[in-house]
Amino acid sequence: MAKLRYAFFPGCTLESAAGELKVSTEKTCKALGIELAEVPGWTCCGAAQIQDIDDFLGVAINARNIALAEKAGFDKMLTVCNTCTLMLRTAKKRLDEDEALRAKVNEALVPMGLRYEGTCEITHYLWALVQDYGLDNLKKRVKRPLSNLSVANFYGCHILMPPDVMGFENPRNPRSMEMLAEALGARNVDFEQRLACCGFHAIYPAECEALASNGVSCLTARAAGADCLVTPCPLCHMAIDMWQADSQKRFDADITMPVLHLPQLVGLALGFTPKEMAIDRHVVKAAPMLERKLT
Amino acid sequence: METITFNIKRFDGERTWNQEYRLPRETSTLLGCLTKIREEQDPTLNFTSNCRAAICGSCAVQVNGSAFLACETQLDALLDTYQTTTLYLEPLNHFPVVRDLVVDFAPVEKGMRKVDAWLCPSKERRDHLQSEADFHKIAKPADCILCGVCVSECRELAYDDGTYLPPAMMNKAYRFERDSRDGERGKRVLAALKNNLWKCIHCEQCSSKCPKKIPVADEVSYLRRRAIALGETKSEGARHAFSFYDDVRATGLLNETMLALRTEGLGKTVANRMPFAIRMVAAGKMNPLHAPKPVPGIESVRKLYEFSQKMEKEV
Repeated sequence: MAKLRYAFFPGCTLESAAGELKVSTEKTCKALGIELAEVPGWTCCGAAQIQDIDDFLGVAINARNIALAEKAGFDKMLTVCNTCTLMLRTAKKRLDEDEALRAKVNEALVPMGLRYEGTCEITHYLWALVQDYGLDNLKKRVKRPLSNLSVANFYGCHILMPPDVMGFENPRNPRSMEMLAEALGARNVDFEQRLACCGFHAIYPAECEALASNGVSCLTARAAGADCLVTPCPLCHMAIDMWQADSQKRFDADITMPVLHLPQLVGLALGFTPKEMAIDRHVVKAAPMLERKLT
Repeated sequence: METITFNIKRFDGERTWNQEYRLPRETSTLLGCLTKIREEQDPTLNFTSNCRAAICGSCAVQVNGSAFLACETQLDALLDTYQTTTLYLEPLNHFPVVRDLVVDFAPVEKGMRKVDAWLCPSKERRDHLQSEADFHKIAKPADCILCGVCVSECRELAYDDGTYLPPAMMNKAYRFERDSRDGERGKRVLAALKNNLWKCIHCEQCSSKCPKKIPVADEVSYLRRRAIALGETKSEGARHAFSFYDDVRATGLLNETMLALRTEGLGKTVANRMPFAIRMVAAGKMNPLHAPKPVPGIESVRKLYEFSQKMEKEV
């Protein structure tokens, strides 16, 4: 298999609250022989916020991000955040389909020494492993099958929808996370909040709703026998892990549920320790559960 | 021949139960299956339908937890999506249930009144002419058939206290806000704002599941931009969005440490967020002294802001 090489778009959260996701992404990619080169000078994708103030700017900043990757010679950019993926892919789709918009954006970019050409695809870590690396290849690299671990996969919205932008799988019944977890030897549990929303993008104006929904996600995952939730998105992770103590206040029953980033799950199966995957950097501690389950 | 099981949630006005019906697998729409069950097996099964052509919007139901318009949904497609021979049917979410799969659309009517979902003709005009460009601004939102699919799928409504405007009504607000023949520009924007416009999570369920492919989430963004243009910048939602907007111009990156403070203000942050902040610092997730440094090439990002601000655009 030819060596996989991606421009890496970390996104803002990996620089601060989800620093552990950067650690686990880089370590697992290195272990799998996947080359990541961080896009020089990348900025925030707009986080599903900036288009609510300036629609053109929301496209333009991502045209710049993609143009930076193109200039560095990459034909594929990898993200680890659902919303970054959606924002970048939305900009790309609009630019590729609207010649006038592309011309206008390039009118702004060219004086900076950049040009959006449309030659760089946008993918996500989950898709890259399933589609580019291949689950059969991944299985061969598994050193510690996660056979005692029951995982509840929490997809998050923006890796699935809207399908005309994302298009990797059917948003009504996606299977990629289950296939990946199975390749790692883990047991998938089905739970009713598998396709729920974490509420992150309106977590201030609609905090009560997000806390209620995320509490139900934890409770239903527990009821289904899950040891942890796993998510491909740092924003879902933040909403369910960092706000879990606030969710708990709305429930009598114990909702405690550790949440792992997807690359951390991969890393555990590749033989990394929880500490090497920076799992100790979560608010809801997963270490006691992992100590029992990884032996 | 393969047998398909339809497990349908029943309700007779007092009692709820699940009832199974079986049909041989054949090429049919979901509505065709429901009709066959009622005609051949159980005349008491209630559901609504009329046009059978995705025009009247009366036959939407949930299958395996997701809303579909029954008349345009092929049984084979459902079985392929869910890889099963058993389908679980329920009435739409977020509506009062009348009987079985029949729901009461009163919340939609109530929502339409909230946003004045009808044309208020401009008093300055005596004609009804509309340019092709102006027509295209409302062509897509006018496709709405009020089927309720977006209402059922809306993740904000799932745990809302009843004050949020359903997505179908956001679409109506957008449709009349953009109608060149209307004389009440801004009225629906303010109505949507009053009904928690900023609570939309941008989860994209409405845009993704709409049988007419109306991009409702994009319409919500337009309504928010219009609200800001009307000077409505003080809500938590608007301040939250401006935090991102301002941070990207300043450094290219979000300053997470300051996000709550800038969204909620000093008083609320101090009163409500201290336990949260302590948790974050204790887990090593937040360094209160950390502020992002400008990314390489930040000048080019600021030039994009200047370029966009100078552009002529509607909002």
